Amino acid sequence: MINELMIIIFTPLITGVIAWLLDIKGLREGISILGAAVPLAYLIQAHQTLTSQPSIQYSIVISGFKFEFLLYHLSWIFAMIAGVVGFAAVLGMASTTKDSYEWLFALMSLTGVYGIFLADDLISFFIFWEIMTFGSFMMVLKYNRKASLKYFLLSVLGAYSMLLAIGILYAKVGALDFTTIQQTLYQDAMRGVLGTNTLLSRNDMLLIFGLFLIAFGVKAGMFPLHVWAPDAYSETNQSYTAMFSGVLSKAGVYGMLVIYILLGTRLMYQFGRIGAAPKFGYVIAFLGGITIIVGGLLAALQEDIRKLFAYSSISQVGYILVGIGVGSALSIEAAIYHAISHALFKGLFFLIVATIVLRTGKTEFKDMGGLAEKMPITFAMTFVAILSLAGIPPLVGFASKWLLFEAVIHENMPILGGMIFFGSAIGFVYLIRFTYAVWFGQRPTDLDDTKDTPIPLAIAMGILALLNVVFGIAPGLVATELNKIFGKEIIKGTIWELNIGFGRYNGLLITIWLVTGIVIAGIIYFLGAKVRRVPVTDTYQGGNPVTMEYNLTIRRNFFLPLKETLAFWLRISFDRLYQDIGRWVEDLAETLRNYIYNGNVQAYAWYLAIILLILALWGV
Amino acid sequence: MITSMIGIALKAFLILLYATFVGFMFMGIIRIVTARIHRRVGPPIYQPILDTIKLLSKKSNITHGLIYDFGVLYALGATILALMFIPLGSISILRAYGDLILITFLLEIPMLGIMFAAMSSGNPWAGLGSQRALLTLLAVQVPLGFAIVALAEFYDTFSTYQIVMAQQTAGWSITYLPLLLAAVAYDIVLQAMFGKEPFDIMIAPGEISLGPMVEFGGKHMGILQIQHAIALFAETLFFSNIFLGGAVVTAFASSILNTLASLGILLIKQLAVLLIAIFIGAIFPRFTIDQAARFYWKWPTIIAAAGAILAAL
Amino acid sequence: MVDWRLFEPLFEFARKRSLWIVSFCTGCGGIEMPPLMTSRYDLERFGMMANPAPRMADLFLITGYVTPKTLKRIIITYELQPDPKYVMAHGSCPLNGGVYWDSYNAIKHLDKYIPVDVVIAGCMPRPEAVMDGINKIMEMIENGTADSWKRYKENYEWYKKNQDELFGEGWREREARRWIPWLMDKKEE
Ligand code: SF4
Repeated sequence: MINELMIIIFTPLITGVIAWLLDIKGLREGISILGAAVPLAYLIQAHQTLTSQPSIQYSIVISGFKFEFLLYHLSWIFAMIAGVVGFAAVLGMASTTKDSYEWLFALMSLTGVYGIFLADDLISFFIFWEIMTFGSFMMVLKYNRKASLKYFLLSVLGAYSMLLAIGILYAKVGALDFTTIQQTLYQDAMRGVLGTNTLLSRNDMLLIFGLFLIAFGVKAGMFPLHVWAPDAYSETNQSYTAMFSGVLSKAGVYGMLVIYILLGTRLMYQFGRIGAAPKFGYVIAFLGGITIIVGGLLAALQEDIRKLFAYSSISQVGYILVGIGVGSALSIEAAIYHAISHALFKGLFFLIVATIVLRTGKTEFKDMGGLAEKMPITFAMTFVAILSLAGIPPLVGFASKWLLFEAVIHENMPILGGMIFFGSAIGFVYLIRFTYAVWFGQRPTDLDDTKDTPIPLAIAMGILALLNVVFGIAPGLVATELNKIFGKEIIKGTIWELNIGFGRYNGLLITIWLVTGIVIAGIIYFLGAKVRRVPVTDTYQGGNPVTMEYNLTIRRNFFLPLKETLAFWLRISFDRLYQDIGRWVEDLAETLRNYIYNGNVQAYAWYLAIILLILALWGV
Repeated sequence: MITSMIGIALKAFLILLYATFVGFMFMGIIRIVTARIHRRVGPPIYQPILDTIKLLSKKSNITHGLIYDFGVLYALGATILALMFIPLGSISILRAYGDLILITFLLEIPMLGIMFAAMSSGNPWAGLGSQRALLTLLAVQVPLGFAIVALAEFYDTFSTYQIVMAQQTAGWSITYLPLLLAAVAYDIVLQAMFGKEPFDIMIAPGEISLGPMVEFGGKHMGILQIQHAIALFAETLFFSNIFLGGAVVTAFASSILNTLASLGILLIKQLAVLLIAIFIGAIFPRFTIDQAARFYWKWPTIIAAAGAILAAL
Repeated sequence: MVDWRLFEPLFEFARKRSLWIVSFCTGCGGIEMPPLMTSRYDLERFGMMANPAPRMADLFLITGYVTPKTLKRIIITYELQPDPKYVMAHGSCPLNGGVYWDSYNAIKHLDKYIPVDVVIAGCMPRPEAVMDGINKIMEMIENGTADSWKRYKENYEWYKKNQDELFGEGWREREARRWIPWLMDKKEE
């Protein structure tokens, strides 16, 4: 019998290939949805197995290489994120995808993500990492060459870094499976504590950590390696972006956790702590904090829906990095919780964007407006998503953010605390801008016959919206799973309540009282006189008459004062820096081609002669 | 079970009634004190109540759609929710869950409801006002965050009730340097949360016709008046609780007397907080939005961050 | 839904004591507003408050002469206010044309276009006179004779006819098409 882990990993790829080969409209969608549903079903079933045994293991030997796979609580949670959001995204793609090419590569990247989460040795980790990158790269390539190249270049940088780091580790440790590496490095740290010589020097550790940080930071969209994300996220099928941003960025986050698992003790020994957090973690957390702010501020200034959410996605991953970086058990749980909620609400958001793009064919704020009346279902979903991302109780976005705040602040991290507070406000700012420009205000006349969402997208959004609500009201559902990672009750409380000792959050109580409050308000409301519905042209604008022909809603440059305030900082752009470096390299190549590789055979003969001469002088 | 639930409901109702009433009185006091500073007589103190009754008794109301109605209801609902979490002497209902972060968020989200309602009207001035309100929120968030961080790190707990209890034995928060700094920053933030000068550009009446409020009339505005009253009460109460020692009187034998005494002490503290805000508001002109942002990101942030770092050491 | 007639006296009292003003200060009378609102006469004693948004206003002050251009805005602003709403006109101009009795470009009888509750005679009326007018309107609210908003509803056909006679039918759309492009062109300069 084929192992269930293999089924989980490879079903998407196989169905993708079948869908690609068959290429029959209707059938390929069905097969692909099946391909996303099967792993999910297996994962849900695996939850049962994992209660009786700690992990499910599987290894396979191909031409001398041993590939190991392991499903335990941590990877189960991440795989579930991939499963649920991937399934929703695939459902959404059923409405938005035009040809089978996209099915192949979307499902291929899903396979890659599953592989990453289940891999138990560095080689399979790396291989699946590349599969995922390749699949997503092809998805972007089809829509925009330039964006895909940027993504490709940074991914290659990440891949090389990871390969190098793996190489160094292999050279020193002599093994590639996680267990051995972990144990060896743990013993190495012990050796260091005892004062004997360590296997890896300080510089080795610094190098390995730096390389891994680059590799995972690229994928997570960490500042200053985030520059690919806005373009890549926006220049592809938006239903796919739900998976791209919701799941693929979690691979980077998972990678950071892998750093903890494999190198944690050793790094902690080598570099010590800063306050309560490990120093290496503090680097991650601090970069995460900057990511929150940079991503959020830039999101507020975007003029394109897709770009806004791309930057917002970067900003939200920053929270997760902060949580992971702080490094206490609670903060890591909080970070994983936020990874779950980020996947849920950001997946929902990108499906909403997919609907908007599908139905209107436009992506910029200046062409939008007043869609709430035309797309009520989508708007209801947007409402849930907005409340969740903005962190408004009782939705999942608040529960996870609350946990993260408490975890970070409790560890006496004032600067990080300030950063995440700022991040939550900037969340309000860009969300309201999106709401205003797309859903409210005057509707441009060419959007008058916009239809509501197609059914597969509606189902996909419904699943995610429901989970957003459920995991917010009953945060204990998630917390019990998170506690299993550490094997002890870090977050106490019931299914409705999170209790971490120095703070408590009860989703059910908040829901009840919020409803009570709204009911009280509603009673006052209904006691008053009846309301009369007025059109959007019947508003006070200095007493001037208004018609629908001219659109007076502010759509472009909504946050102009913010731009002015930040004018100085906005001149600094890492994207431009990289572009300049790129151009510089190009120029260098040009110079080389002109003067050195000039295509003149005689010149090449001279080079050869000079090299030989130098070698001779060297005494070779 | 049933009786305890009825008890809670009754308590909640009383708290709500008290908060609304005192909130309206606060609004009246704001108007009277401002008038006195202007050397005017000013309206009677119950004027805001009359205003609200008038607004609610309007014979025709307009709406711009479901969100327009829901946003207003949500604003009031969330304010009531926030009120229930803040310790009020010893009679608050959900004080066990009265978490600093939660309350900070809950005090902010009513504004989000108002923004939603205002923006759904499609009035460009409402949009402009919301933009300004949001940028003010963004500007105050940094010092506010640092102030909250300072508190949480100083007391090593997030429960407001425990902070209040700790102050009963150890003295008011503002007697400690880190928390004094935090309190100063928080008080400057409060000025923007009340929507008073110099940070009231979001409702600039002459320029953008009250900004987000421009389309509200009749019962919508009436509900927002009630919301404003409760929010005033809740914000001053929160400040008095976390920085000014709150009030838990146990001197009397009868619990009713104790409660009344605590409410009285809290009221005095709340009035002090309010009066500072009024005085500042009455003598300052208005900042533009980028000036406000630059101001908040400079001095209050530095003060609050210093407080937070000192508290963490 | 609920029978509120019992509370009607309370409501009338609240309406009377909480008149929020939206003032249309295009005429000369606008200059009388600052002394009225500030420490000399302090209208806030009576719960009156200047309010820029017509949606929450009760009392509409027309402070002086009205031209066709401003009349259009006055009508639109008036219609935005929720009922019950009251109108008070300052000075002779809105009443009978005043010194502009033979002007080609002033509206001689405001109450042909929107109903008016109280008109204060004088050119220009002193703040005392305005306060007297306000007293009058409060009295009228109390005894229920301030019913201009009802009259506007009942005789809407007549008012609309007069408005259309002056401006021509479809004047709102025409006006919108005129001022918005003007505004937008201006921005590009
Ligand atoms: S009545 Fe006299 S003061 Fe009033 S607007 Fe006419 S001319 Fe001016």
